[in-house]
Amino acid sequence: MLEDVVNASINGILLGSVYSLIAMGLALIWGVMDVINFAQGDYMMLGAFITYFLFIGLGIDPLLSIPLTFVVVFLTGILTQRFVIDRILEAPLISQIAATFSILLIIRFGAEALIGPYTFRLVTGYADYVIRLGFIILHYTKLLAFIISILTVISLYIFLTRTFLGTAIRATSQNRIAAQLVGVNIGRMYKLAFGIGVGISAIGGALLSTFYPLHPEMGGFFCLLAFVIVVFGGFGSIFGAFFSGIIIGVVQMLSALFVPPTLKDAIAFIIFILVLLFRPTGIFGKGV
Amino acid sequence: MSKMKFSVLKSLYSPPMIVFLSLIFISSPILEFLNQPFIANTIFMCLLYAIMAMAWNLLAGYTGYLSFGHAAFFGLGAYTTMILMLYYDITPWIGIWFGGLLTALSALALGFPLFRLRSHWFALATIAVAETFKLVFIVWPYVGAAYGLQSPIVAPEKSLWYIQYAGPFIYIYIALIIFVIELTILYLIITSKTGYYLMAIREDEDVSKTIGINTLKYKMFSLMVSAFFTGIAGGVYVIRFRFIDPFTVFNLITISIYTAVGGIIGGVYSFIGPIIGSFVFIPLTEYVRVFIVARLPEYYGLHFFSVGILLLVISLLYPAGITGYLERKGYLKKRILPVKVE
Repeated sequence: MLEDVVNASINGILLGSVYSLIAMGLALIWGVMDVINFAQGDYMMLGAFITYFLFIGLGIDPLLSIPLTFVVVFLTGILTQRFVIDRILEAPLISQIAATFSILLIIRFGAEALIGPYTFRLVTGYADYVIRLGFIILHYTKLLAFIISILTVISLYIFLTRTFLGTAIRATSQNRIAAQLVGVNIGRMYKLAFGIGVGISAIGGALLSTFYPLHPEMGGFFCLLAFVIVVFGGFGSIFGAFFSGIIIGVVQMLSALFVPPTLKDAIAFIIFILVLLFRPTGIFGKGV
Repeated sequence: MSKMKFSVLKSLYSPPMIVFLSLIFISSPILEFLNQPFIANTIFMCLLYAIMAMAWNLLAGYTGYLSFGHAAFFGLGAYTTMILMLYYDITPWIGIWFGGLLTALSALALGFPLFRLRSHWFALATIAVAETFKLVFIVWPYVGAAYGLQSPIVAPEKSLWYIQYAGPFIYIYIALIIFVIELTILYLIITSKTGYYLMAIREDEDVSKTIGINTLKYKMFSLMVSAFFTGIAGGVYVIRFRFIDPFTVFNLITISIYTAVGGIIGGVYSFIGPIIGSFVFIPLTEYVRVFIVARLPEYYGLHFFSVGILLLVISLLYPAGITGYLERKGYLKKRILPVKVE
């Protein structure tokens, strides 16, 4: 039993790091623009399928194609921002939600109509490798995904705190009018934030594709999970989302030991509702 | 008092509304005679989604609480009707009302936690509630778990008891009855004092509280009425399709989001908006689904995609929906009711 618990926890940490990437993109967009992007999971799906088709078509290893995947989804995000999100930033909540829902429908089902309603599997040469440390079993692909997630998070951290552009994005998220007054071009920051936000989620999708079955509608579940993580971590707190992603991953894997597999997702949603009710600022949030 | 109510109803059943309802009323035998099940089914679906979108709009458009979890209510209503019919042999004529009542009661229970939240957070929590319902129903053996429940085909002499008829033609009347009942009740609500309280809550909840409106009470009322009719819509769905499973009736997209889409396309700050919206987007998606997707299954998803395009165009170009656009152009009488200042 103890072995199961340890293994489940480690698996949860590895998987949770990928969840975190998806959620951090959502948190970045939410924090900077105050827009909930319901299509976040679908940009993740785009990332996963770009990786898949690069692997099937050109034989590029999923881990090597990550920069390319990021750039493609980043550009898609900038286009979305330019043609859709920019126009609804000042609109009432209902128009904002309607617009991001329509992006969800267009990306998810446009992709499904193009590639078909089937489940795909990306099988790399090293898909079955495991590392055994005593009774601990580590899947090679999940371990690599974990390492790359951590590297991505560190790069994002450095970008947001140590570069001029990153500081400008943070300034925009803290106070858009003040940022504008000191000469930040907030329109550009919005585009950048949306592009990076969906790009980071796409990296999550790319990493997921190495060990998780792919389906054009996979984004739905991960989008809900990303909401759970962002709310749990504290609204707008990007790095709070990172830690809470790992916590949610562990909780999910541990609860899978005790309840039927379907209900392990229900536990995540129940945690979500409880956090909303009793600690709406999240566990890492500083309060409103 | 009753005289006033009568004049209110006269303003609801204006000549265009009467024409609209009579057209639907006579469409059923005509379509049966012409053997057009597709059109009849589309009219049925439009009515079903109009029932749901109007119920949703009472909460979203009039009270200002956006729910994207109405599938929870729809599913509860559907399962109640189905279980009463299958396990207790209660006719759906009665069962759907029980479904509605149970749904309203569950809305009462869910309302206490949910109404501690506002705007974004409320919307997200309703999604989580509906998804939780779905997951619980998937593993609950009593309700057929993931396989769902199916009601058997009955002998012709029992057709009336189980409301089981071939083709979609008769079901137009079932949906129409519910639709008219809902239309009347919702109109009486929104033209009454309660309706003005709800709109006051939408405009500014804190101010409403300050002037002495018991906001929780009225929000709860709005949620319960909304859930009641959504649950009834679930029952109507069961009568028509005789098969339910958790994935269909708790579906985030085809139930929760589609309900909202009907309202948003038609215009949420208008009473007839959700009806117009449903009668616009359901024919589009049904047409694509039946004539393109059913014939070319590898293009599955195009019907959702087409709704996405329509929703995108409406939300970017006509954020007040079709009725909002018509009102601005002067084709539709300007609403007398207070309008949200944007």
